[in-house]
Amino acid sequence: MITSLRVLTYVVSLSLATHAVAQDAEGETEIPGGPTTSEAQIDVGDSQAVQTPTFSATSQPSDDPAPGDWAAWGRDSAASRHSPLSEITPDNVSQLEVAWTYRTGDMPKEEGQGKYAPETTPLKVGDNLYLCSAMNVLISLDAQTGEEQWRHDPQVDSGAIPYSASCRGVTYYEVPDAADDQLCATRIIEGTLDARLIAVDAQTGELCQSFGDGGTVDLWAGIGERVPGWYAVTAPPVVVQGVLVTGAQVKDGQAEDAPSGVIRGYDAVTGELEWAWDMGKPNLDGLPPEGETYTRGTPNMWTTASSDEQLGYVYLPMGNSSVDYWGGNRSEEENEFSTSLVAIDVNTGELVWHFQTVHYDVWDYDLGSQPNLVDFPLDDGSTVPAIILPSKQGDIYVLNRETGESLFPVEEVEAPTGGAEPDNLSPTQPRSGYHSLAFPNLEEKDMWGMTPIDQLWCRIQFRRASYKGMYTPPTVGQRFIQYPGYNGGNDWGSAAVDAERGIIIANYNDIPNFNRLIPREEAEERNLQPIYAGGDNTDSESDGPAEGAGDPQVGAPYAIDVNAGWRAPITGMPCTAPPYGGIRAIDLASGETLWDEPLGTARKNGPFGIPSHMPFKIGTPNNGGPLVTASGLIFIAAATDDLIRAIDTETGEVLWNDVLPAGGQANPITYEVNGRQYVVIGAGGHHFMETPIGDYVIAYALPEDDN
Amino acid sequence: MATDKASRGVGGWSLLVFAIILAILGLILAAGGLWLVTLGGSWYYLIAGLGLIISGGLMARDSLTGVWIYFLVLLGTLIWALWEVGLSPWELLPRVFGYIVLGVIILALLPTLKRRQATI
Repeated sequence: MITSLRVLTYVVSLSLATHAVAQDAEGETEIPGGPTTSEAQIDVGDSQAVQTPTFSATSQPSDDPAPGDWAAWGRDSAASRHSPLSEITPDNVSQLEVAWTYRTGDMPKEEGQGKYAPETTPLKVGDNLYLCSAMNVLISLDAQTGEEQWRHDPQVDSGAIPYSASCRGVTYYEVPDAADDQLCATRIIEGTLDARLIAVDAQTGELCQSFGDGGTVDLWAGIGERVPGWYAVTAPPVVVQGVLVTGAQVKDGQAEDAPSGVIRGYDAVTGELEWAWDMGKPNLDGLPPEGETYTRGTPNMWTTASSDEQLGYVYLPMGNSSVDYWGGNRSEEENEFSTSLVAIDVNTGELVWHFQTVHYDVWDYDLGSQPNLVDFPLDDGSTVPAIILPSKQGDIYVLNRETGESLFPVEEVEAPTGGAEPDNLSPTQPRSGYHSLAFPNLEEKDMWGMTPIDQLWCRIQFRRASYKGMYTPPTVGQRFIQYPGYNGGNDWGSAAVDAERGIIIANYNDIPNFNRLIPREEAEERNLQPIYAGGDNTDSESDGPAEGAGDPQVGAPYAIDVNAGWRAPITGMPCTAPPYGGIRAIDLASGETLWDEPLGTARKNGPFGIPSHMPFKIGTPNNGGPLVTASGLIFIAAATDDLIRAIDTETGEVLWNDVLPAGGQANPITYEVNGRQYVVIGAGGHHFMETPIGDYVIAYALPEDDN
Repeated sequence: MATDKASRGVGGWSLLVFAIILAILGLILAAGGLWLVTLGGSWYYLIAGLGLIISGGLMARDSLTGVWIYFLVLLGTLIWALWEVGLSPWELLPRVFGYIVLGVIILALLPTLKRRQATI
């Protein structure tokens, strides 16, 4: 009782603090010579209470998709990943067969080798599918036959590939009150690896000449020196009240002096810059003055936002500062906003509220999941407009999406201290009282291997490493165990919400990383170079060039070496026992686990990288999300076994699966054309997940006779 | 000893080579296990390693006691593994599977060992 009271008090004070800070950021600082702040202040005051009429809520297909459509990356702006279709049911799903297969033709050329991870999820609006390939080729397909209607190749150079060649999806936008036959009345917009926004006509694929400069907006404007691959867009932008909002990936761990994490809003019709949210320059509205840049090295948003058309808010899952594993030089704003969910009013570009999931993040626990908007059911039968925020540590938060206040207790628990910067670490970290996908701390007996010898090796490593549970401080020289690792928890695949059944479906990883900070001298001996000096993080102590495996972190006293998945040398086997990933059903109202199953079989995994062909469910690492249908089915690939499967939403039982020709590290969609329901997945593989690379888009449907 | 060596057929040599490998595996486990103990970890690997060294050494001298010791290590391993991880199949795999494979090989070599004992 005392504890819960304390927690409640904390929640109240936290929300107050959040608002106070928000107002601080909004109201303070007048930059000499900068734009006048009075306008911004008035806008902010209004934004909480009144809808300013700059842009109005016009219903886009993404706000309320037709039953047979998949109009936004998460099906809708709320990111429900829930389809009302029910032709495919738990009873007949076993009869699914391939209806058509399409190949984009986009396969890695020389420079792209070992970097492909398309992660592509198509949209379906009307009779058409819209997608992008790994290198941003925009493609429209006939949703029924899979025949290509048009394609637009923006000619992205493979030098622009950041960590991965990924294009998770595109954005569909209807220009309000435009004549149907007008070119670009409906348009497909994407962000590219070389940091452009591109708009094409949804019917023909022709560039929208009235958008930006001949259909293109250059996102490098205001960012600084153009270094291909450092600043790249891999996620679809979102449209809120006619404002196209995008962040960008800033390649991790290169330098403190890195491209800004600025978030920008553009007019979806003209491509004009409406606002910029630069946490370091809260009064900056548009482009920085000539010769200046948006604040360098600030936390960015590489994943997909969600939005509320009525409120006019966009919800930004922010990442971490450019240098992930050292925080000593971070600014106050960075510490304020890193690894936070940030709500921005698209009418003004001003901050409404923000909620931080990690204080002083030195673990690369950036928010990867697109949060889900729900009408959250309360005990008295009413609902609250809420937003569900999964995190990489596994904690899932439920916040009032108007105010940012948590609907459940958020406890500040004591965090471990020590390591490389004991004075800077936060003494406490938040824990969600709603739900966590995280598991108990590792013990020596959790170490694994194929034989007692490699298991013994891993046990010795466990004992030699620094490990103090979650948020173990980074250490210099000595390895530290980060558990869960940066792969989650829940990542960009995000969760799905079946509001009718009151169930959240979330897949997750359960994998540690084995890291250490590298003294600058050693980093220099190893010649760890940042991207602007031609560096490529292929010099690694672990198996592959994983994210963070030898990142220079220029400007910080230490570089970083990450052994992602903590794999043993020689065998390549993980040092911890399976399962490495699972899928869980969570009761929406209470946050209680309904069922929890390992996700993925051992068929493609084994020692020395040799497939074991074992059909047993082991729970593999996974990357990619689920969808849910009204008929009570979950479709998900994601695991490294190259299977797509249908799971019973109520029980977690796998009812059907099929072998994909390449890795299924993408979110599937489902839609209907001419009365027939399809399930479509991009099988593009993933270099980091070590699945076969491909260029497939595959549609499944029931045999036509059954219709 | 000279007559002993001269009488080694394929089976005899296999037995000797296996026994030496067993002892080497034991040595690796015992050395790593000692390291683990000094780090505050499990004693199991040190004990099992010593068991395998003795077992291999005795089997190299055609002693049936070596076989008994091996199966004692196997039994102890089973009990320890069940105590540590219960009936979790994936976690039993590294702890038990290798020992069972070695145990099957020993059973296959048992007739050879008995024959050699009879000739001594």
